[in-house]
Amino acid sequence: MIRPDEVKMSVEETGKWGMTINQDVCTGCQACVAACAMENNISFVGEEDSGYGRSMHWIRIERFWEGEYPDVRMTPQQPMMCQQCGHATCEPVCPAFATVHSQAEQLNLQVYNRCVGTRYCANNCPYQVRAFNWRDYQRPEPLSNQLNPDVTVRRMGVMEKCTFCIQRIHRAQDTAKSEGREVMDGEFTTACAQACPADAIVFGRVDKPETLVAQITNNGRGTKHLAELGTLPHVTYFKEG
Amino acid sequence: MSEQVSRRDFLKLAGLGAATTAILTGCGPASRYVKREPYQQMPEYNLVGQSTYYATTCRECAAGCGLVVRTYQGRAIKTEGNAHHPLNLGKTCARGQATLHGLYNPDRVQGPSTGSWDAGIQAVADAFKKYKPSEIAFLMGMTPDHLYDLVSDLAQSTGMNAPLRYGALGMFESRATLSKAAENVFGQAGLPWFDVGKAQIVFSFGANFLETWLSPLAYTRGFAGLREKETKLRGTFVQFESRMSATGAKADKWIPIRPGTEGLVALAIGRLVSEIRSGAALPAFANVDPAQVADEAGIKLATLEELASMFVNSNVLAIPGGAALGQTNGLEIAEAVLTLNALSNNFGKPGGVYLSALAPNQEGTSRPASPIEMYDLVEKMKSGAIKALFVHGVNPIFELPKTLGFEAALANVELYSFATFPDETAAKAKYLLPDHHSLESWGYQRVATGVALPVLSGSQPVVSPYYDTRATADVLIAAAQAAGGKFASALPYKDEVDFIQNKVASLVGDASGSFSASDTATFMARFQQYGGWFRNVESLIVPDASKALYNPVKTTKPSFAGNGEFFFVPFVSPTLAEAGANKPWLQELPDPTTTVMWNTWVEINPDMAKELGLANDDRVRITSEAGSVEAFVYLYPAIRPDTVAMPFGQGHTAYGRYAENRGANPADLFGAYYNDAGDLAFAGMKVKIEKISHAVKNGGLSRMESLMGVYGEGLGGEEH
Repeated sequence: MIRPDEVKMSVEETGKWGMTINQDVCTGCQACVAACAMENNISFVGEEDSGYGRSMHWIRIERFWEGEYPDVRMTPQQPMMCQQCGHATCEPVCPAFATVHSQAEQLNLQVYNRCVGTRYCANNCPYQVRAFNWRDYQRPEPLSNQLNPDVTVRRMGVMEKCTFCIQRIHRAQDTAKSEGREVMDGEFTTACAQACPADAIVFGRVDKPETLVAQITNNGRGTKHLAELGTLPHVTYFKEG
Repeated sequence: MSEQVSRRDFLKLAGLGAATTAILTGCGPASRYVKREPYQQMPEYNLVGQSTYYATTCRECAAGCGLVVRTYQGRAIKTEGNAHHPLNLGKTCARGQATLHGLYNPDRVQGPSTGSWDAGIQAVADAFKKYKPSEIAFLMGMTPDHLYDLVSDLAQSTGMNAPLRYGALGMFESRATLSKAAENVFGQAGLPWFDVGKAQIVFSFGANFLETWLSPLAYTRGFAGLREKETKLRGTFVQFESRMSATGAKADKWIPIRPGTEGLVALAIGRLVSEIRSGAALPAFANVDPAQVADEAGIKLATLEELASMFVNSNVLAIPGGAALGQTNGLEIAEAVLTLNALSNNFGKPGGVYLSALAPNQEGTSRPASPIEMYDLVEKMKSGAIKALFVHGVNPIFELPKTLGFEAALANVELYSFATFPDETAAKAKYLLPDHHSLESWGYQRVATGVALPVLSGSQPVVSPYYDTRATADVLIAAAQAAGGKFASALPYKDEVDFIQNKVASLVGDASGSFSASDTATFMARFQQYGGWFRNVESLIVPDASKALYNPVKTTKPSFAGNGEFFFVPFVSPTLAEAGANKPWLQELPDPTTTVMWNTWVEINPDMAKELGLANDDRVRITSEAGSVEAFVYLYPAIRPDTVAMPFGQGHTAYGRYAENRGANPADLFGAYYNDAGDLAFAGMKVKIEKISHAVKNGGLSRMESLMGVYGEGLGGEEH
């Protein structure tokens, strides 16, 4: 892995929104996973489909084993979601321009009504964070009462992934604009960061040096996953705080 | 709108609405329910396109975390933590997030089994009159406290049996053992609170404090504090257990010791430390010989010496919990571990041991019924001493060990169930009178542990009841009044809200709290708005442990029922806990250690499995003295070869489509053995494992992880 200070980044490449993850305090409790599912209208797929690897998690917590019993150790829990790459490998392969880069927010967008389900983007994602709707997954009534009106409900044949809770970004921006001010740091956050009981996840503007997330990102101890591929990920991981 | 509104003006108006969304709303006592309205006629506080937020209290476990629920046009959309709540400071766990899958569960009980509520209330009133008060018993869950108070009042003034509270989480936490150990070591009963956040080094003897233990959010925040290293040295965490739990997975050092030897290991470390410090063993530790302990625990003496040298020059916080207390010698283990803290002299100090603060309207410490007290209840049901049983907030057929015979004893009693979901116990009820879901309910919950401030957490309905359900408090009040006499005078309330106002009346005008109000209406409005009331005075109780080091701690050998070859370690599923199995997104959360979804597995050490000819996804039968269950094999790299482990949470035969006929319930294996505090020795047994069938392709466990790279399977060679 390449440390962020070893990758030469221009200001544009830093991105606008960023996230830091402290693996030293992540307990793998799955609160972020549940919060993400509830916020973003993510379908559950049932035992059989999840056994085939078709579960729709936008965020998952990876853990690996090191060593043999009795000196066995679980590697620090690693929440993995769309890294919102600056140079995203998913984007150039989409024939329908469903996976596009937002100039305004510097995020990877997924435009559901353009997606025709070629799944090229998922094949090309080195982080394996895209989830495909293999079926129209059912939400028996009245479960659909819980759907978030700010987030599109996806159907069969459509690819989906973490959006950095773009509906929350837009809502905060609209509020700030109507009040004639800038969005403040900490005014809102993503569903995962909001739920995280250990505060392992921090989200905000990485391009503004005074924000918490920028200060953590730039402390020099973090790593960006697979940065050597030149993907310019916007999530920074900290193995030891 | 008749006037012309320009687009610019319209946007300004909308912006005004957006600015007010973040304000929490409380509805005054006059408006008891929020109605779901068509959007043409929304109530004035409910702007179209804008959300309304209500503060309430989570009831997915007994911790009492504050929630703020986002509602939109009368529907609950999302639960968030209440940032003003001192216990969880705006955070939630996975179960709190999934509480909406309970509210909108397609398999809820939709109305009373009596057809009408009048008939249901009459049935309860008849039971009050038909039976002698001593023949009526209430069995309640760990939440909510206001209903427990109501039933306690009713029982006290009518001579009914005092209500019992029980929950499987409480059983696995061995709360009676913790309280009794505190009494024996400190001379004062109570729920110990361990200040993990300010500790230097934490030795946890089996405590699963990052999963479901007592107050998981508070302990997780403490853990983050332990690991924080900007302002202090990063704290160290050592876990002693026979099977690596999700908590143990975060440890810097994981020490796999034989089940039941946790107390000996704690005392041996204490002896080594006191010998290094003063040259002689203190009386508390005089009974143990470290070399012998190392042998019994199945670890090296050098490991104990290394841990002792870590301990010598620093303060260590020692925490007993989990399967360590679920041994026949669980009480001795808890006492030994609490005593180890005396070497750090950390009682009542930051980073040390406290007893939990009492909540604002709480008179004395209380704890749920221990399994031996539940056994007494079952015996009374069998003998006919109890003829009518009222059950609320707990599913005893599933949550009690089968061997207690609760299900069979139900044949002798008339069962009144207030279940929200059609669980196993509700299916046996003569009268099923469903309560609202917690998000449709009034109430309060005392925060039992996890925070230094005394907190009374408030609940209010965030949506109007979805089905023809009725608050159990209202049913009991109405039935008591219909029964007349001492019943009517025991509960002289108009309804549930009237009762709650009466119970918090002592706090009205109290200036020491998070807010003060001079009249009840204002107090209740703020109580709902902020989601509770807390006193601004740190009230943790400082235990007196001055004698702890000078009394020798007993060491009893654990006994294990059954003649199997494996120690059995049941643990609560960190994602499902006791009642999560009917929530589909909780089912689809991967277990933190194994990444398994939707099913039950049994964890076996890979080397041992090889010896037994077992592979991943093989079907096996696990047999104890008390019963047997079937499960899939999971080769778990972090478990002692002489131990197998199984999660509790699945194995329902009822409880809705997502829970039914899925996995197995390890409680079916538990024998009726208790420790000296009356808690169940749920880990005090040995089991046999026999293979039923080979793994079939695509027929095994659904895992998040890929098997490739975990054990080299799928890379060729080990296919079968």
